[in-house]
Amino acid sequence: MRLECNNLNFTYPGSRIAVINNLSFSMKNPGFNSLFGPSGVGKTSLAKMIANSNFKSNSDIVTEEIDTILYSYNLERLPGWSSTGKHLNKVTSPENQSLKEQLIEIFELNDVLDSRFSKLSMGQQNRMNLIRYLMQDFDLLIMDESLANVDEKLRETIILAIKELFSDKMFLYISHNLMEVSKFCSQILVFGKSPEKKECFVIEGQDCKKGYLLDKKLLDMTMLEIMNAF
Amino acid sequence: MLFRRIYQFLIVYIIGILLLLMIKTGLSLSDYVIPGVALIVETAGEVTKEYFFDVLNTLSVAVLGQALSIALAFTIGIAGRKSSWVGSFIKVTAYNIQAYPIVALAPIIFILLGDGFITRLLIASMICYFPLLLSVLGIMATPVEDIEHFYNVTGRMRWQLEVKIRAFENLSKLTTVISGSATLAMAGTIVGEFIAANAGIGYSIRIALYQSDLAKILVALFMIGIIISIYQGFLETIGEQIKTKWSISNGGEVL
Repeated sequence: MRLECNNLNFTYPGSRIAVINNLSFSMKNPGFNSLFGPSGVGKTSLAKMIANSNFKSNSDIVTEEIDTILYSYNLERLPGWSSTGKHLNKVTSPENQSLKEQLIEIFELNDVLDSRFSKLSMGQQNRMNLIRYLMQDFDLLIMDESLANVDEKLRETIILAIKELFSDKMFLYISHNLMEVSKFCSQILVFGKSPEKKECFVIEGQDCKKGYLLDKKLLDMTMLEIMNAF
Repeated sequence: MLFRRIYQFLIVYIIGILLLLMIKTGLSLSDYVIPGVALIVETAGEVTKEYFFDVLNTLSVAVLGQALSIALAFTIGIAGRKSSWVGSFIKVTAYNIQAYPIVALAPIIFILLGDGFITRLLIASMICYFPLLLSVLGIMATPVEDIEHFYNVTGRMRWQLEVKIRAFENLSKLTTVISGSATLAMAGTIVGEFIAANAGIGYSIRIALYQSDLAKILVALFMIGIIISIYQGFLETIGEQIKTKWSISNGGEVL
């Protein structure tokens, strides 16, 4: 499994400033990887380009053993005409039903399955949205701030569960939480701050898994490395 | 909803009558030009029953014409929601025809079909169809990106689901447009009756006009206003009930 970008450039129509400028990186193997950087540096634009099949057709973005790429983001909504539980059932195949039940338990959403989406808190909405994506057939799932507004403890539980249950899939996690990204991600693509001097680095994260014993020194080093890459 | 409509109409009607009476008093006009309150009340006693049935007759044609327009607007609106050449063609045609005063085409229909029911129905439908179509097209052609994204990327999107999402998200707008089009349908039918009918309140107004009987016209306007207010209030109530039922019957709560 491989995701690679070769000298990727992108400028929005009508704009003179390139959002993505000569970007090259490679991420290999299944696991939890991340796109990290300040707002407006092109993380979402890159994610959308990776998910867009038109970009995969040229040589700028190369994928190997990645056929289905899904892009999820934190402002998505479920339709309001029926309960979230019913919506989840509709988009889950029969063979994934038990996995769905398991995820609902882990994501702590059992109590809101009878409620409509608009009645959920923002954190619950994001968790509900993420579950339905996890129930789909995918090789690479891009999670664009998909766990925003979820409390830290539950976020950790969710990330560890996803890493365990979907160990053969690749994830691209977009987050602004430095500690979380350093701790749980395998490869972190760090975007530079200034658009003119925009350089990107891939930094190895701690890739902690369930039952991990954290080496704080190594975590501090990863975090420092990321901060220095800005 | 229903009573609010009636109150609103009564306020506007009373203000209108008071203005007329002020003009009458200010310019010392005779009852022949602007009738006094006594004459209006006396005329109301004479023609209310007749006009009531005339308005019902007109309303029945308007309702039928509106139903036709709604069905057609939704069919064309759903077909034209895509950005394909068919969709673009439908949108451009609708915008251009909308810019033309459709009521001006009424005499052509009268010449081709003569007076009677079909002519009234056609004119009513034509007048309320294009504004309806533009609204439905606008709603159906605008993606609800934050809901549709999931279905698009997972290949689950079907045209029925797309229409359902867009209709549900714009239910209030659709209800307002449909209840608003009732006035247009009624106006269209009355215009049709002015020029090409032998029944309906428009026909009765035309006769009153020939007699220069403003009292009769004022009574007719009152009957039209009251009945169209009730009809619009009824449509809005149905819209509210659909919204409520759509969410409750599916395990949700009131919108």
